[in-house]
Amino acid sequence: MNFQATIAMKISDLTDNTGEWLRGTGPESDIVISSRIRLARNVARYPFLSRANAKQKKEIEGLIRERIRESEITQDLFYINLADVSPVDRLFLVERHLISKEHAGGEGIRGVAFGKSETTSLMVNEEDHLRIQVIRSGFELRETWKTIDEIDNKLEKKINYAYSSRFGYLTSCPTNVGTGMRASVMLHLPALGMTHHIEKVFNAVVKLGLVVRGLYGEGTQVAGDLYQISNQFTLGKSESEIIEIIEGVIPRITSYERMARKALISENREQLEDRVWRSYGMLKVARTISSDEIMHLLSQVRMGVNLGIITDIEMKTLNELFILTLPGHLQKLEGRELTSAQRNIIRATYVRKRLEKIDSLQ
Amino acid sequence: MKCESCNKKHATVHLTEIVGSVKKERHLCEECAQNINAQLTKIPSPTEILTSLINQVAPEINEMSKVACPVCGISYLDFRSHGRLGCPMDYTIFRKGLIPLLEKMHGSTQHVGKVPSKAGKELIKKNELMQLRNELNKAVEKEDYERAADLRDKIYELSGDNSNED
Repeated sequence: MNFQATIAMKISDLTDNTGEWLRGTGPESDIVISSRIRLARNVARYPFLSRANAKQKKEIEGLIRERIRESEITQDLFYINLADVSPVDRLFLVERHLISKEHAGGEGIRGVAFGKSETTSLMVNEEDHLRIQVIRSGFELRETWKTIDEIDNKLEKKINYAYSSRFGYLTSCPTNVGTGMRASVMLHLPALGMTHHIEKVFNAVVKLGLVVRGLYGEGTQVAGDLYQISNQFTLGKSESEIIEIIEGVIPRITSYERMARKALISENREQLEDRVWRSYGMLKVARTISSDEIMHLLSQVRMGVNLGIITDIEMKTLNELFILTLPGHLQKLEGRELTSAQRNIIRATYVRKRLEKIDSLQ
Repeated sequence: MKCESCNKKHATVHLTEIVGSVKKERHLCEECAQNINAQLTKIPSPTEILTSLINQVAPEINEMSKVACPVCGISYLDFRSHGRLGCPMDYTIFRKGLIPLLEKMHGSTQHVGKVPSKAGKELIKKNELMQLRNELNKAVEKEDYERAADLRDKIYELSGDNSNED
């Protein structure tokens, strides 16, 4: 396959599928949606991007793009030059978690390489020269680390990274220096939200030096009871130790969420079932749904499926709907730019059709 | 009446000071009175207040304020106002200012994680030893002596085949 595929072709290919990390499989996948690790790397003897001129940026981009191609990270890897891509396409890639919001909104020559499974993505000229990311479905931080470590090993044979024995991998922002690693786990915690225990959990998490964020990372709003927990510190602890800390916390949060769900059932089963079924019903009949509302409805239905209240919809479908109904995806689906009101109608229609398909199969 | 302060010139200025409930009269010559007045009205300028504040909160800023990187050209103050460094060399040039900052952010200033294979085997070994020593400390704290003995052996083994290792 051509490494630098035509963009239009590649992005439309994606609209029919979703990444493997949305499969809804893997350990604890009823609560842990995905495990993600990213590494920040810079090329030695070049300024960081905030100080690089256009010529240097071009050189860095060309160098890293070629090294990625030579390293044969995965077979079907292809590269998109983001400067050539429309804002809707960039938004689409952000929603897929293939690029960051900052990368989408950035300037100058920059790009992203990813494979068909969408497990691995390599952002070139983001905040750092290179950001490698691996996402997997479920609670699989160790496996995720193994994969990303291998990719990093392949690349470091060909790229001279900026590194010092004192400070580790040198990054543009000192909050990333050292391992350059951010490990995060995306959790679905509706019952802790409903029972107002969520703040307690987060206070405890923050004390361990971890951070809680919304669905799309830094500064994003919490929607659909989806939270990302990740490490704050990157220096003074090894990659393994950082992963160990997160691995120690997650099972406690998931068991707390399960306890909260049990408590909700034993206190008032009918009321909980009613909430879940009403949300499901709403998704099946509504003619216009805002993005906030759909997140809330999907969250309730997802919990209903986990609790065995709803049995006719797959976890994969639900996980996918969280992403497929986002503004960038709807606009790609329609092939044109849409106003917020138009999106709400198309969103409702799209979900209704997906769920009708399930009904007709039964 | 002679000036209270210099005891030489004739007192022409008469001040009444009230401290608490005590009233005190002072008789001074013009020159001495002006000196005292100047002292009383000496209020620090905004820059002075700011400098002393910065010295209290982040003493390194003041010390580093004139330092700039010869490679990428950014000054330490540029970095502090934008939060981004300009090039890898900044970690060396701004070291003095960065260390307290890194300490605050990460609770540490020494990398112990992955080492690029290009950085050399010695460095990899050094880091591995550092990690093992950390683990050894943890094991001792937990009174897990079996693991501690294990780790100690590993440390000997790793450092043993190189007598130069500290």
